[in-house]
Amino acid sequence: MRNKFKAAIYLVIPILLAYSLNTKFGSVPPILKFLNPFTGFWKNSVAIKQPKKSKLVLRNTKETVEVVFDDRMIPHIFAQNDHDAYYAQGYITARDRLWQMDFQTRYAAGRLSEVVGVKALELDRYQRRMGMVYGAENSLKGMMENPKSREMVLAYTAGINDYIHSLNSGTLPVEYKILDFKPEDWTPLKCALLLKQMSAVLAMGSDEFYMTNILQKFGSAVTADLFPDYPFREDPIIPVGTKWDFKPLQVPSAPQANSVIQTSQIKTKQLEEGIGSNNWAVSGAKTASGNPILANDPHLNLTLPSIWYQIQLHAPGMNSYGVSLPGAPGIIIGFNAHIAWGVTNVAADVLDFYQVKFKDDTHSQYQYNNGWKNTTSRLEKIKIRGEKTETDTVIYTHHGPVVYFKKPDDLKMANNVPTGSALRWIAHDRSNELLTFYYLNRGKSYQDYRKALTYYTAPAQNFVFASATDDIAITANGKFPLKWKNQGKFILDGSNPANDWKGWIPAAQNPTVKNPERNFVSSANQSSTASDYPYYINWEFAPYERGKRINDRLKSMENITLDSMRIMQSDSYSVFAENILPALIKALDPAKLNATQKEALQVMYKWNKSYGADAIAPSIFELWTKRLFFNIWDDDFTIENIPMRYPSRDRTVELILKDPGSKWFDNVRTPEKETLPDLVFEALTYTCDSLERKYGPIGKDWKWGNVKGTHVPHLANIPGFGSEILWNGGGKSTINALSESNGPSWRMVVELGKKGPVAKGVYPGGQSGNPGSPFYRDMIGTWTKGELYDLYLMNSPQDERAKVLNQLTIKKK
Amino acid sequence: MVFIVVLIASFLLQMVLPWWIIVPVSFITCCLIGKTPKKSIWEPFFAIFLLWTGVALSYSLQNQHILADRVAEMFGLQTWWLILFVTALTGGFIVAVSGICGYKFRKTILTKVHVSHSSVNN
Repeated sequence: MRNKFKAAIYLVIPILLAYSLNTKFGSVPPILKFLNPFTGFWKNSVAIKQPKKSKLVLRNTKETVEVVFDDRMIPHIFAQNDHDAYYAQGYITARDRLWQMDFQTRYAAGRLSEVVGVKALELDRYQRRMGMVYGAENSLKGMMENPKSREMVLAYTAGINDYIHSLNSGTLPVEYKILDFKPEDWTPLKCALLLKQMSAVLAMGSDEFYMTNILQKFGSAVTADLFPDYPFREDPIIPVGTKWDFKPLQVPSAPQANSVIQTSQIKTKQLEEGIGSNNWAVSGAKTASGNPILANDPHLNLTLPSIWYQIQLHAPGMNSYGVSLPGAPGIIIGFNAHIAWGVTNVAADVLDFYQVKFKDDTHSQYQYNNGWKNTTSRLEKIKIRGEKTETDTVIYTHHGPVVYFKKPDDLKMANNVPTGSALRWIAHDRSNELLTFYYLNRGKSYQDYRKALTYYTAPAQNFVFASATDDIAITANGKFPLKWKNQGKFILDGSNPANDWKGWIPAAQNPTVKNPERNFVSSANQSSTASDYPYYINWEFAPYERGKRINDRLKSMENITLDSMRIMQSDSYSVFAENILPALIKALDPAKLNATQKEALQVMYKWNKSYGADAIAPSIFELWTKRLFFNIWDDDFTIENIPMRYPSRDRTVELILKDPGSKWFDNVRTPEKETLPDLVFEALTYTCDSLERKYGPIGKDWKWGNVKGTHVPHLANIPGFGSEILWNGGGKSTINALSESNGPSWRMVVELGKKGPVAKGVYPGGQSGNPGSPFYRDMIGTWTKGELYDLYLMNSPQDERAKVLNQLTIKKK
Repeated sequence: MVFIVVLIASFLLQMVLPWWIIVPVSFITCCLIGKTPKKSIWEPFFAIFLLWTGVALSYSLQNQHILADRVAEMFGLQTWWLILFVTALTGGFIVAVSGICGYKFRKTILTKVHVSHSSVNN
């Protein structure tokens, strides 16, 4: 008996040990499943030397497809029909980026808990409650309705799935092995989810919760004064004086406002400048060659694997090169032989909150138009790894989902959501953005560009355009609700039908300009138009400084070349510093300064206002102004239980320059009366003290490159998989809008002409998503230096301009 | 003998089966032909230590250890060969435990018949 027991122990020990080394505990990967060289991570160590030619048999292709990989592993797909082009795009993109595509769409769909466990539950709830899946389902209907986009999505999906089915436990991307899950089949819904996530990143901003609180606290006069409907300084995207050659629709009139005060535990946060981008096009009149040149650099959170994937798609009727989003067919930003196009975000107000009055706690009816209207509910089943599936019920009104009845405690992104309010968001509507890119990829002329834009809904973008026939144009494009002025600046009363969106600005009447007299067009997320545009798009856009700098430069430049455009993309000159620094220096009393502060002041005197990596002035200026804004506004706008936001940078600058005796400079928390010079001095003291504490005495460690610490982290923040700290200049208010890990996610310059396009580009990463690949982050060095690679629009697989690393032939049999 | 059997059987079986097949391989081998406790620990240990080092190197050398360096960093280690050492050591450890358990298993089962013999060997 005892022996039997002993024998059993000897059997059980190895089994338990094997089990525990094959299981994931917390965030530790399953040790031996991950380490063993037969199926673990070692297997992802791809050979650096690859064969010159390779073959694949994929029976879902219709005809033979040739894929040429150039010296940066960028695929140039040569297909004989549309289906095969998108099928191959799906297959090849998945081969390089499957885990990223999977992870991003899981994030979008609120399905992270399924793979990482309960720690992602609150985030998943947020995504579901914001209606991400609901919106994606509606979008999918739009995509499937049109035969062209339907073919795109289905072929792309089939390509991804054929790649997924070719995998085994050894060849799975390494992140699956770390997080210990397996890819599931791709679906067209995932393409829609990915595009929704772009909307969430670019068009989910909403200040109406904060603005409503400000209105309640300070009244309408102060609110109108501190939060004006048009900036003090602006240089709008559509040049001032552009004529609107259309007869505008009747704009609905505003009803009497009756907002409700909103309280919560959230504290006011200093306004952080959001995600921005630059694009511009210059006509042949301003270039050395006489050909038009287009430039674009979209700013996003920088990650590895990169958000973008370069690709060329060649099929009958299409030969296009540019960057795609892994998870969506087609090319988003790029060019062909005839046209080039690029995008920046339009901060359109396409997201509104409606205060809902429910009849009772069952939330089954709500007040609307002097009666009661029924709600519907949507059950969101959230699977959680290692735990029971949670079912979250989301109440929907005709506006959209009621995001929260009670807010989560620790979810930063939920801060601006008012409780008990329904969300009306453009991204919930049926749409088909893919069609825009389908037509742009095949576009030949200005007319094709205008037609392509009509299919676009969200996230609204400034589409810049240039053609080989020397047309340039820019359009603030998206589906914009027809609103009365300031509709949605504050939370709206959801029971009043007058507050509903009443229609749309016709696509043809979106702000646009073609071949303006100044011979260039540009955008940097600033106001779309001057105040004479007949429709309301938003009351506040990104600050004007980047746009101003771009326009100043382009106005003065002649004989422009691709290289001068490249250099301009890395321009780090700060118009903000130019505007405000003299006033700050003037406000200081040199007699009061200690040694460090005196030296800091000397540095500021000498500064050329450029955010160079080797300069220490930007480090001081950034912290100094940030602290100054805090000193000015925090006492008034940070009040317990009433989350608000600060007035804009533009308004603050105006106050400092035009109204230095303003009452807002007094700190209401102290009995003394503070003045602007007091606040400026305190801010400088604070700045020098904290830089000294962190980086030692003023000197080389204060350099901007060091203080900023730019780096590109891994998408799931896996240590070792991100980049090292990079030595970069640039700042958020400059053209080179590069902060710690947010900035130019793709830089492209294209010259179009009769001899064909000449293009250059780079993004901070690499084509491969495999951290073991030499192409995982190979472009970061070039990007850091502000240089670009040649982009080859090949005419055939045999085209000799590109250096070919590998030629893949995909056959049906 | 155990060394050769574990090495070859593990190599072949891991081509098609999950890594943990090395645990029963070592257990069964030592259960059947393990001569002494010492040999039942060290022979499977070195078999897997060598096998895994060899296979891991065959992948990693062609990759110039790009991935191994990154994974080492993920585990807080300095360089690629440390993660290789950890891999081989952990693999060796588990088959060593499994081997001695296999050996002991036989001895326990056989105790009834060869009481005296088994106690000497122990």
